[in-house]
Amino acid sequence: MKVHVKNWHGIAQWRWDTGHSDMDDDGEGDVCGICRVPYEGCCPSCKMPGDDCPLIWGECSHVFHMHCLLQWIATSASKQQCPMDRRPWVTAERKANRDDNAAR
Amino acid sequence: MATDALKRQIAGKWQNSFARLNRDQEGIVGLLVFSEAWTLATEFLHPRDLNDPAANKDWDMSQVRVAVETLSRSKMLPLLLENFLEDMRKQQHLITRDVQQYISQYEEAEDIHHIARLIYRLLEWYRAWVPISELGHTILSAYTLTFQTHVYSILPPSFSRGFKQLVNATFEIGMSPIAPPWLPPTPPALQSLVPAPRPDLPLWGAFEQLGLLDRNESLISSVCYEHIEAHILGTCARRWSERMLQPMREWMTNKIVPWMVMPYARGARSAEEARSMLQGVGSRFDFHVCKTLSDLRTREIFDIIIDFPDSQPALEDLKECLQRVDQRSQLVQTLRKANRKRLLHPGADTKDILTQYVSIIRCLRLVDPPGVLLFKVADPIRRYLRERPDTIRCIVASLVGDGESGDSLVDENEPIQPLQQIQVEDYTDPSWEPEPIDAGPDFRTNKPSDVISTLVSIYDSKDLFVRELQVLLAQRLLAITDGNFDRERRNIEILKIRFGEAALQVCEVMLRDMTESKRIDQHVQSQKNMILHPTIISRHFWPPLQAGKFVMPGQFKQIQDDYAQEFHAFKQDKKLRWLPHLGTIHLEIELQDRTVPADVPPLEAAFIELFSEKDTWTVDELIARVGSVDRPAALKALATWVDMGVVKEGAPNQYILLEVAEDAATHPRPTRMVEEAPAVLTVEQQQADQMKVFWKFIEGMLRNLGTLPLDRIQTMLKFAPNYDRTIEQLGAFMEAARREGMVTVSGGMWKLSRA
Repeated sequence: MKVHVKNWHGIAQWRWDTGHSDMDDDGEGDVCGICRVPYEGCCPSCKMPGDDCPLIWGECSHVFHMHCLLQWIATSASKQQCPMDRRPWVTAERKANRDDNAAR
Repeated sequence: MATDALKRQIAGKWQNSFARLNRDQEGIVGLLVFSEAWTLATEFLHPRDLNDPAANKDWDMSQVRVAVETLSRSKMLPLLLENFLEDMRKQQHLITRDVQQYISQYEEAEDIHHIARLIYRLLEWYRAWVPISELGHTILSAYTLTFQTHVYSILPPSFSRGFKQLVNATFEIGMSPIAPPWLPPTPPALQSLVPAPRPDLPLWGAFEQLGLLDRNESLISSVCYEHIEAHILGTCARRWSERMLQPMREWMTNKIVPWMVMPYARGARSAEEARSMLQGVGSRFDFHVCKTLSDLRTREIFDIIIDFPDSQPALEDLKECLQRVDQRSQLVQTLRKANRKRLLHPGADTKDILTQYVSIIRCLRLVDPPGVLLFKVADPIRRYLRERPDTIRCIVASLVGDGESGDSLVDENEPIQPLQQIQVEDYTDPSWEPEPIDAGPDFRTNKPSDVISTLVSIYDSKDLFVRELQVLLAQRLLAITDGNFDRERRNIEILKIRFGEAALQVCEVMLRDMTESKRIDQHVQSQKNMILHPTIISRHFWPPLQAGKFVMPGQFKQIQDDYAQEFHAFKQDKKLRWLPHLGTIHLEIELQDRTVPADVPPLEAAFIELFSEKDTWTVDELIARVGSVDRPAALKALATWVDMGVVKEGAPNQYILLEVAEDAATHPRPTRMVEEAPAVLTVEQQQADQMKVFWKFIEGMLRNLGTLPLDRIQTMLKFAPNYDRTIEQLGAFMEAARREGMVTVSGGMWKLSRA
């Protein structure tokens, strides 16, 4: 017997590749440390999730909604630091270290 | 012992009387003349027996007149009257005999002919005995009184019945000059020179002369009322598609008014006079027409509403009647009662209740534009609907125009407008009007008849609707395979106008996911041609989906992985996570002797894929291969293939692939209805899931604190995040837990049962 698949309408969810998400298969997922909204949601100033409200990855391994972080960095109190660990904020280069993150 | 004085007194009286009777004539000539005149007059006046022809002799009227003149001059008329009345009393038995004869004939035959004849006969008696007009008015009225008193005293109760029938029969005559068979020929005494326009006119004359009209006025009008009622009920009942009030009024003018002229405007000499005489009684009858019609329509109101809009004319009639007759509270009561009996019970479909409610809104708006009636009637319906679990779903389904149900609650032609909030009255508005006087204390005007606003306002918050809408939208979008969701987009656009942009933001994201998926798929297909076309959704923006985790075996897994990889290449920062249990797969199974095409859910596809590894599987083996699948779901999936004749059940729990088709007759398994489990959790399921979390809290509470009353539990649960249940809901939940045997209650105190 052979099964030939002609057409398949599947359903999938997209997730941000935050590098450390495989732990929460079922949970609500990680939230942005600034606005406390899940990464797959959108920051308070956006209406559409996904590409319209992207994430920003830091060298320090912390991930935020881009809009949230930019707003934070724009304040003088931020001193250009990551709000989580107070290290100077450096945006990570994604393409290069993607596989590293995934492997971790 | 006569004293002189007394003697003198008597002598004086005697002289006086003599002088009066003798009238200063010589000797006793005057006395003789008087005596003659008296004899003549009394004999003339003596009530004759109509049945005795001998008694009927010709009188020389000039002689009679002279005699009366003589008596009058002697001031003896009172005495004559007394004498006459005494004679009448002696002769009354003649009338009595006649009356009894006619009445017994009538009672025997129940034919009003006899009553009519009796009337004429009585009139004959009356005419025969009536004193001549020269005797003066006093004697005539005394005569009439005595005659009528006697007649009324001897008429038996059955006469009333007969009279009523007789009056009723006169309605049938109409304008035709041909007398009906029951009407006896008009006696000569009543025949007038001008031919009567109606054959029953003489009869009415007889009624009047005998005083029957005045005496039986209420009876006559009640006959008329009954006649009007019977006609209206006969003509208008269940005829709602045309206006009836005007035709009824015309019927009154054409049929009843000519009749009314006879009892109520007999003396009228001209048309104007008749009109003014009829005015009072006419408006009374017109009122009765309105009342009868409005009573009828009130009784029928529930069915009229069902028939709406075909029954609109009936409602317009009702409106006009209600302006004349104050039956508004009856209407409300009747409709409320009918609703309770026919609508608000468990047997009625929520959809039907809503449809009827919408019709009620439309109908009562028509009858009573300010909406007081509607408010009173709608209140119980709204309260009932609030308790129904599927009300919101029904409303939402009709909002988005549920394809299968055909007619939607919403009129297509109605302009789409935002939901209305309760308006605060604007007293500076120059066209402001006070609330109608029969408005209740919490009456609110909601101005125009926007049905959707009214329906949504059954619930306090519109969030419930939005949530339900989200679920419905999700179900539909996930079922779409051809990528065409224009209809849903249009619906959402319309609903945005109603509910506002912000409330439907989530739905907007869902729709965007659909377009986005299409775009991604186009890109992926351009890179690598694949048979998988997924819908990629943004979680958090879709309602919770049915949980289910299993691993697609073999080629399916390969396809999924390939696609995910392509996706990742396209969207660098994103990954795909499959919801393997959702979606549909179109596949073809190539067997030795046949090819079976099938559209199946993923689990079915996974199982049949496994059968390509080996031909015989037990259920447990299959489940073990795909991961976490519950047994009923697995059995259901296998049953699908069994039904298609691709596999068969060998030993219990063991399934064998049929490479060669077996005769259909050998497995006469009834085709079972495969019920499609909806992919999206309904709002109730979501709530039930949520309640499971709260149960943990309750359990902890009861374990630590022993026993607790319900309100304590409620107070403590309020500290839990997202807890929004009312104490009633909590009570119902606890009651359910008690039935499950998890808690016990005594005296309002809840505690965990000893496990």
